[in-house]
Amino acid sequence: MVGNNPAVKNKIEVKDLTKRFGDLLVLDKINFSVAEGEFLSIVGPTGCGKTTFLNLLSTLMPSSEGNIYIDGDVADPTKHNLAFVFQEPTCLPWRTVRENVAFGMEVKNVPEAVKEERLDEIMDMVGLMDCANLYPNQVSASMVQRIAVARAFSVNPDLLLMDEPYGQLDVKLRYYLEDELVALQNKLKSTVIFVTHNIEEAVYVADRILVLSNKPTNVRAEVVVDLPRPRNPMDPKFVEIREHVTELIRWW
Amino acid sequence: MTSIANETQSAKKERAPITVKAVLTNKWFLYAVSLTFFFGLWDYVAYKKILGSSLARPLEVVNYMGYMINHRLAGNSLWGHAWASTRRILIGFSIASLIAVPLGLMMALNKYVNAIVKPIFDLMKPMPPIAWISISILWFGIGEPSKVFIIIIGTFVPCLLNAYNGVRLVEPELYDVVRVLGGNRRDEIFQVCFPAAFPAIFAGLQISLSVAWTCVLAAELVSARSGLGYVIIKGMNLGRPAMVLGGMVAIALAALMTSQLVGLLEKVLCPWKREIEGL
Repeated sequence: MVGNNPAVKNKIEVKDLTKRFGDLLVLDKINFSVAEGEFLSIVGPTGCGKTTFLNLLSTLMPSSEGNIYIDGDVADPTKHNLAFVFQEPTCLPWRTVRENVAFGMEVKNVPEAVKEERLDEIMDMVGLMDCANLYPNQVSASMVQRIAVARAFSVNPDLLLMDEPYGQLDVKLRYYLEDELVALQNKLKSTVIFVTHNIEEAVYVADRILVLSNKPTNVRAEVVVDLPRPRNPMDPKFVEIREHVTELIRWW
Repeated sequence: MTSIANETQSAKKERAPITVKAVLTNKWFLYAVSLTFFFGLWDYVAYKKILGSSLARPLEVVNYMGYMINHRLAGNSLWGHAWASTRRILIGFSIASLIAVPLGLMMALNKYVNAIVKPIFDLMKPMPPIAWISISILWFGIGEPSKVFIIIIGTFVPCLLNAYNGVRLVEPELYDVVRVLGGNRRDEIFQVCFPAAFPAIFAGLQISLSVAWTCVLAAELVSARSGLGYVIIKGMNLGRPAMVLGGMVAIALAALMTSQLVGLLEKVLCPWKREIEGL
């Protein structure tokens, strides 16, 4: 297991993460770790508390028990570099595409020169250069989601959380953007937690997949995806892993 | 850039061939038809004296407006009267918006400010501003202050309400973006809250303006020696329909201009609301 491999440093450590809403136990002592630069996918049945889980990981919501640790410290957005790509497009409509990508670095007080340099680099990588001076309402849905992805990567996040960022896009575009995402992650070595309902997507992008159980949610299984990239969804080994994960979700 | 996910925007507008149907369904053609019909009907009714002699013909109105520009009425030409009304509006509207917009924003951001201001505001809100005319004349006399006061009262409500609602209706996800990135309350307010509330604030200003014109007119009809409301009431007293209608047209034009001015300000301050033409 990559995450438990003592040779690789564990960047993220989640210990006994628990969330209760009154009597309703949503998350039940979730434990796992993520290695530095690892791409972790999380899949689970509908209604397994995925949103709650992400809100806890991003510290938007306090946990009932347990914590998430980054480099051994309790995660804190003002101290660590967290980034979140939400399911809904969350561009600021009054900023141009370029200003939107810069927004994360502005909040983080990244020095001007570094900011401009990183902006140029990342905008080029995700192909946003051509529409840098347009406003979000002037570009398509896929571009808007790329802005959010670029904004998230640009802060050099300790942890990048993604909540089904491509859930509303069509299949072709989805593959294209997934490739782009994998390439970005590979180049920038960010640690990513990618939540999705789409098992094929999870197998396509992830180094390792965490399968969640039904409520009260726990980690049901871990599946390492040791396929070479770029991956081919028609490859028998790919299909085998996909079906294995599907089985894990189907049976409890 | 030729990647599949990139936008392509065509800069060219498609040009349709000119046919009879295209001309008949053309927007500008229909506008012309509509206006010709309106003025034609007006002129017919006035010419045939269907409403007696109390309706002036369109051309008479235009002529009379020309006459008023060159001849003073109570010391002012038509420009003078238009400016008198506009000046009252600008003063009252500026004072009201400078107080009401920040107050509305603060009410939305701070529950204590809200708790203190809201009861008084709710008490005053349903009262039509024109109801204040008599008391304002008693307080401030028949000079400028009483008219400005009415305008302030009238424009305060939409300014404040829209600023307040503008902040309230900001998408909560946008705050999450700032929070996850480790931004503080200051970032939330200045980077998300205020810019997001801008369009609503401007909508409030536009509503305020039309309320302001209603208010100034009412105040001038009651007591004034200048202003377009005075022109109208004078025309009525003198039995000159062209003068009344001329005053009304002048008000419409002046109101349109102030509204365009605010619209222009919005375009400058919120460039992100512009659309790509033809998209």
